[in-house]
Amino acid sequence: MKALCWMGKSNVEVHNVADPVLLNPHDAIIRVTSTAICGSDLHLYDGFIPTMEAGDILGHEFMGIVEETGKGVTNLQRGDRVVVPFTIACGNCEFCRKKIWSACDNTNPNAHLMEKAYGYSGSGLFGYSHMMGGYAGGQAQYVRVPFANVGPLKLDTDLPDEKVLFLSDIFPTGYMAAENAQIQPGDTVAVWGCGPVGQFAIASAFMLGAARVIGIDRVPERLEMARSIGAVTVDYAEEDVSVLTALKDLTGGIGPDACIDAVGLEAHSNELQGVYDVVKTALLMETDRSTVLRQAIQSVRKGGTVSIPGVYGGLLDKVPFGAAFGKGITMKMGQTNMHNYMKPLLRRIEKGQIDPSYIISHRITLDEAPEMYKVWRDKKEGVTKIVIDPWADGDGTRHVRDSRAETTRSRDSSS
Amino acid sequence: MAQALNAKPNAEEVPLAGSAGITVEGRYIPPPEDKDGKLWVRTTALVHADAKTLYEMWRAVESAPMWQEEIAEVRQTGDRTSHWVMRSGDKTIEWDSEILNDEPGRRIAWRSVEGDSDNAGEVIFEPAPGGRGTLVTVLQEFRMGKLASAWETVVGRNPKQAVTENLRHFKALAETGEIPRTEGQPHGPRGSGSKMKRSMYGEKVATPPGLNQRATNRAAGGGSR
Repeated sequence: MKALCWMGKSNVEVHNVADPVLLNPHDAIIRVTSTAICGSDLHLYDGFIPTMEAGDILGHEFMGIVEETGKGVTNLQRGDRVVVPFTIACGNCEFCRKKIWSACDNTNPNAHLMEKAYGYSGSGLFGYSHMMGGYAGGQAQYVRVPFANVGPLKLDTDLPDEKVLFLSDIFPTGYMAAENAQIQPGDTVAVWGCGPVGQFAIASAFMLGAARVIGIDRVPERLEMARSIGAVTVDYAEEDVSVLTALKDLTGGIGPDACIDAVGLEAHSNELQGVYDVVKTALLMETDRSTVLRQAIQSVRKGGTVSIPGVYGGLLDKVPFGAAFGKGITMKMGQTNMHNYMKPLLRRIEKGQIDPSYIISHRITLDEAPEMYKVWRDKKEGVTKIVIDPWADGDGTRHVRDSRAETTRSRDSSS
Repeated sequence: MAQALNAKPNAEEVPLAGSAGITVEGRYIPPPEDKDGKLWVRTTALVHADAKTLYEMWRAVESAPMWQEEIAEVRQTGDRTSHWVMRSGDKTIEWDSEILNDEPGRRIAWRSVEGDSDNAGEVIFEPAPGGRGTLVTVLQEFRMGKLASAWETVVGRNPKQAVTENLRHFKALAETGEIPRTEGQPHGPRGSGSKMKRSMYGEKVATPPGLNQRATNRAAGGGSR
């Protein structure tokens, strides 16, 4: 089969590799019909996540058709259409029983690596480093899904792939971010990062009763997309814009009730602190650039909530913990407990409350994926979300772009 | 672990009553320190199964290869005695083991009596606070120098780490009916540092099979894709 392999920092390649086989009783083999590149794949691409190995197959957002099942899988049959959550959970350990699925005790074969780095291990993830399990990912024609009796969501609907694919990660991730923000009806919520997770966090914040949502980014098409679903936007890259001042101005001086950091460890900033982080990470004196987290803590109102769906990987510097304590804020974070959200969010899609496909800008073949990693990393060509059909042949047309991205691009070039 | 384990059998009857216990009369007891050529490892896991089931699973020594790394075969030789064969790469070591203390549903203590491995150990099964499953605590002793232990770490799995991993496998098997694994999955071309990385990541040691010999069902829809 064809699969997209990580070959080193800023280097991914498509290779012909062996087909996956069943290795354990609760495995299933899925023929992948759609898969997507996630913003967090860019952390791997940029070499921010340790314990990657040349040849590792990437991809943790995917769906498809069940091809084969192990003896222990009784809820799925060959031919079933499924969306697969990116976190692998056993369903029986202390954490799965508590519905903290992303903390599953039994699905990471390399738990000892994470224990050395973090003192504990979370669940195994698809295509996301050996520390996180070393499982082959789904940017491929087939994928092996362990614990298929617990994770995959069976679809009894004829909704197209594009509307349900994002149930594999980013829609639940954005939704859990909004849930973690403890939104009360009438709240003002600020969301840093208007990429896919930020988009779904904004949409979910409105669904949960927010009266005003403020989207913060610097990429014009993302900001436009955020405004298209009702957010007020702040472009932090514009001259004379200070995010902290903007959030005060937009809240009568008190700050947002909740702040959502949908950026994580690779934050960009034009301010002095941002330069400080670039220098310090380059000198290996800190691992993560924490501009957004600092701003979120500084700007949230007294007694407010900071929710962090953005990925952090290590040690942070200059985190204003005195402000966090002084204001008595609540912080909630972590990998998404996927299994809690897939079914209810599918229902919202079926009812037409949201069509997650609105974030897609590019539809490509697997062979085009290596170049698109670079294009997205460099924030070019108006990329908002890339979906791969691993069975499509390249026919010269590189991608289908919707009209919104076109207009954004033309406006870009004129500015 | 063959390297340094030539002088034997000299494991004492280490497992004193309750020595694998984490608390004694309400006070926390830290794990024993390595010294005088003895390595100790104490490790514990919260397992969602009752103590009796877990005790029986551990006591069925002939099934140990299902969940213990690199154990090729265990043969019961008497009520309390067994013969163990361990294969690590192209090296095979064998030893006899005897059970010193056997309290059904609660505790097993053992030591090696003859052969290439000099070890003694104890496992305790106790109900977790609040009725949340069973706390399984293992205390194991090896007689082996720190240098030999470091060598084993380089070529495979450090014996201390192996005890921790085996308990992890035991828990996964008890809770889910399988041991998570990635060996045998596809990948692209590996780079030049691949062998070293596999060793660093602990992926050189084969994951024990769990129930796999009985459970694989490759027939349906298999073949070439």
